[in-house]
Parts: sequence; structure tokens; C-alpha cells
Amino acid sequence: MMKYLPFILKNVFRKKTRSILTISSIILPLILICYLGTFLNLLEQPNAGESRGAYRLVTRHKVGLTNPIPSNYADKVSRLDGVLAVTKFAWFGGIYIDDSARNFFPRISVEPETFLKVFDDASLSKGSVDDWINDPSGCIVGEEIFKKYGWKIGDHIVLKGTIYPVTLQLTIRGVFGVQGGRSDTLFFNRKYLEESLPSFRGKIGTVWTRARDSDAATRLPTQIDELFENSSYPTKTETEKAFQMGFISMLGNVKLLIASMAVIIVSVIVLIASNTIAISARERIREIAVLRTLGFSRLMILSFIVGESLVMSIIGGLLGILVFLMTFKPLKALLAKTPVGGLSFSFTIFPETILLGIIVSTVVGLVSGIFPAIGASRRSIREGLRYIG
Amino acid sequence: MSEIIRMVEIMKKYNTYAEEITVLDSLNLAIKEGEFVALMGPSGSGKTTILNLLAGIDNTTSGSIFVGSDEISAMSDGQLAKWRSQHIGFIFQLYNLIPALTAFENVELPLLLTPLNRSERKEHVGTALDIVGLKDRMSYYPRQLSGGQEQRAGIARAIVTDPTILLADEPTGNLDGKSAEEVLLLLEDLNSIFKKTIVMVTHDPNAASRASRVTHLEKGILKEDMTKEDIIMNKNRVIGN
Repeated sequence: MMKYLPFILKNVFRKKTRSILTISSIILPLILICYLGTFLNLLEQPNAGESRGAYRLVTRHKVGLTNPIPSNYADKVSRLDGVLAVTKFAWFGGIYIDDSARNFFPRISVEPETFLKVFDDASLSKGSVDDWINDPSGCIVGEEIFKKYGWKIGDHIVLKGTIYPVTLQLTIRGVFGVQGGRSDTLFFNRKYLEESLPSFRGKIGTVWTRARDSDAATRLPTQIDELFENSSYPTKTETEKAFQMGFISMLGNVKLLIASMAVIIVSVIVLIASNTIAISARERIREIAVLRTLGFSRLMILSFIVGESLVMSIIGGLLGILVFLMTFKPLKALLAKTPVGGLSFSFTIFPETILLGIIVSTVVGLVSGIFPAIGASRRSIREGLRYIG
Repeated sequence: MSEIIRMVEIMKKYNTYAEEITVLDSLNLAIKEGEFVALMGPSGSGKTTILNLLAGIDNTTSGSIFVGSDEISAMSDGQLAKWRSQHIGFIFQLYNLIPALTAFENVELPLLLTPLNRSERKEHVGTALDIVGLKDRMSYYPRQLSGGQEQRAGIARAIVTDPTILLADEPTGNLDGKSAEEVLLLLEDLNSIFKKTIVMVTHDPNAASRASRVTHLEKGILKEDMTKEDIIMNKNRVIGN
């Protein structure tokens, strides 16, 4: 079959403008499909907390993450039955070196004393917790970014605030890794932020709770939210996974929504590609009749046309995947700078997404080519030779 | 010489929306191996239909067609495609080269159906283009060739697999006098030197006069069958038709 490939390629690119436009019409939806696939994959991921043997809950303001909650909520939550540990989080963001996507990683202010009690799946590979606790400007960094920037324990990091009008000078006191998880985050002592920015005092973004067991993890969200129901800062508590997906979850049946969008997009690509292939096949009625006169069978004609469709679709698909990969990091960084920056934590390139892109482009190629191919291969040679296009 | 083509009691009807048209009516035709036969007759007389039936690109309504030992009228579509690729070379009036392919690639097309490897195909294509005098134009696209050159490339494509029979449908119908003469000389050479059996449909008495035999059709019925000597003797009469 390989000996026919040059012939198929020549046919694909015989009308360059049309081919480029058709391929472009596949590239753009493919990028979208890859992003939708990423979201679907995120939703399909096992609960990070459960999979690592801890039951983690997140409490935030009922309205949204941009609304802070009082830091004393953590103390109230810690007194509930079934709570093993509680820690406080506030997204800092900021700029390290420059504003580029290359230098983006999550930066979060936490409570060092309780942080590792809640995140018991994380452990320090370098430095010590005590050093971190004892140094108000101390921070711990994930192994991934520690390696990436070639840092050493004791190195200074300057973070220029974006959400908060303050510049922080931090000292690396530890390096952490997470078993089966990602380690590209910087955590620093929230007290340092409170001292640098008094207006921040008493406010946190989220309360993270480690539940004792699955019963507690099931019961506590309702119990916590009831506790603050009639306060000025009502809360919404959910599992870690639900929290990470919270922004999407607000949309309702997210999986169905995303899947429906994907189906519509794929259908549109199929129709566009199918139309192009049909036009191309119609323009070549006489040529196809000539090929059959030369001895090419109906099946071979069908294979050629489906092959052309496949080549076009796979080129579009691969380019779409390439653009997706190239835009992923900047988009992730962009997402991190938004009020829903927490979502960017779990935003990652899944191999399944790449596979999805390849499968979608292959299916588009097959489906869009098959009907014009059947039509072209069934036309009688005599009619084809008499055809005046 | 033995018969290579035998058409027995061929009936061919076409159904249009309004009526049934009989194109060939109980036609019997035998062609010997190495013959150069010209099929003549007015438009609609069934010349091209005979050519299409011989090429296996159209089916008879009734009757049998034998080519060599094969009864092609009994073959399936798939069998016919394979048979065509091995036994038939087809020359079209409008050349019908694939515009996206070079002369070389056009001539190579039928060889893609054979088990030949790339270098063997290249050798065969070179030989075919050499025979038609286009070896120096093998990288040219059809649009870069003259009408006569296009037709010669079409002939190269028809002979590249060394088929038993060459079928030519008005091969000079679209050419100027000089190019037509070149093509006819080429067909004569293919018949006399390479011993190809040629069946040519033509309206042109001059083209027909190059054939060793002329068969005249009228309304689907074989009217006259003349040898080359007859044609020369009755040239004016043939031209008159």
C-alpha cells in the first residue's frame, strides 16, 4: 500500500489552498477537543486524597474563591468530631523573575505548623520542617521546581505580588515531594504575608481539613457548612477533587456537557472534511474512471479516497495536537493568574488526551472519506469517461 | 494467425428514462492476433460501445466475448479490473492523463498494480517513454506538454504493462495533422514491430487507412469488413463515409 502513498499525497495537495483551509478547519477544533479531553480526564482522575490514603476536604466561601473567609474558621473546624488536622491556605500568585509562562508555578501562603499534618502524603527530601517553622520568611518548594531552577537550600527567592501589593523575599528551607503527585509548588508562611500586608491579617482563602475516615469525610462537609450557614461568610465544603474541579462542576453535568460539545465539534469537522472530499471526488469523476479503466478496482478507488481523507485529517490532527501542546503551558499560566487559579494545579497534559486527538482525527478521516469514496467507486466507468466536469 | 478476440451474438441495450435503445444487435466480430482493426461508422453506431465491451468496462445485454481463452463477458467486476490491468492498454481521445502527476508518474500508474519494485517500474516507464519519444519529458506535467505529446504519454501508459491488446478510442480525434500523423506512425510501429493487436475507433479515414482491416458499423450492425488492400482500393468510398 505504501507505493500508492505518493499518489495519494499528490491528490491531497493538488488544490493547495483548499487543502490548507480544510486542514486548518481540522486543526482548530482538534485543539478544542484536546482541551475538552483534558477537562474530561481531570474529571475522571481518582480522588487525589483518597488515592493517597487521606480524606481531605476544602472549605471556601460559598460565593467563590475570590471571597476570603475568616482565618478563625480553621479553629472552629478543627474542633469537629472526625477532624484529624486543619490548615489554612491563601493563594498568592505573584511574579517570579518575569511574567512568562516559563517561570510560572503556584505560590501559596500556608500555615507551616499544620501543613504537613493535612498533607501527610508530602514529605521533605531536603531541609527540615523546623527550619521552615522557625523562619517567618522561609518557604518549601517542590522537587520539580527545585531541580528546574537549580536552587539550593538557603537560596533567596523574590516574589513580586500581583493580587497583593507586596514584594516578598523568601528563603528556601525545605524541598518536598508528593508520593504519586506533583511537586511544582512553593509554600510559604502566611504570617510573613500578614506582617508585610496588615490588611491581609485574619483572612484566608481556604481551610483544608484531613478527615479521620471515609465516614467523617462524608459527614463533615455538611457539618462544616452548617456551622457557618448563618454567618457573614457562609461556606462550601467539598472533597479535594471536587474543589479542584469546582469551577467546572458549577456548570452542572460537566461530563455530559463536555462530551456533547466534543460530539458536536467532531460532527462539524466530519461535515467540513466530507464536503471537501466529496467536491474533490466529484471533480475527478473522469480521472477515477480512467484509473478503473487502467485496472484499479472499486476497492482500490475507495481506499485512495478514504486514504486522501485520512491523510488530510491526520495532518490536521497532528498539527492540532502540536498547537495544543504549545499553547498548554501559557494557557495554564494564564489560568493561574485568574481568580480560578487553583484549577491550574490539576491542569496537566494527559497521554489519554493526545491519544484522543489521534483517534478523533483518524475517525474524522475515515468517516468523512467513506461516503464520497463509496459514491465515486460505484459510478460506472462508461459514465465517468463521458463526464464533462 | 489465431483469433484473439471473439464477440458472439452481442446484444447491447441501454435504458433511458423514455425508451430502450439497442446499440448493438446480434453482433459477431472476430479479430486475429496481431491485427490492426479500425472501427468506423457514424456517431451512435456502436463503435465506442464495442471498444468498451472489449475493455470490460461495460457489460453486454446478451452474448459472449472471448479474449484469448478468457470469457470476459462472464467475469465479475473485480475479475475484470484485474484482467484489464494485465491484458488491455487503453488510449483515449482526450488523453486523460492525471494532471497532478508528471508524465513519468502517469505512465507508472498501471505498473503500481503489478508486483514490480520501484527500480523495475522506473526501467519499464523509461522504456515506454523511449518508445513514444518522450523520455526527455518524463518530469513534465500534462499542462507542460503539447496535445501530441500528451497523447504519446497516453500511449506510453497504455503499453507500459506490455498488454496483449491496445484499444484506441479516436486517438487522433483531438490532434492537429502533424501530431495525428506521429501518433498513427506510433500505432503502426506498435502493431508491426511490437506485434500488438490494436482495435481503433476512428472517424478519420486517413487514420483508418493505417489499419490492416476496417470494420464499418451502422446502427449497431456490422456492415462491411475490409482488408488493407480493400481500403486502398476503395479509399474514396471509405472517405465518403
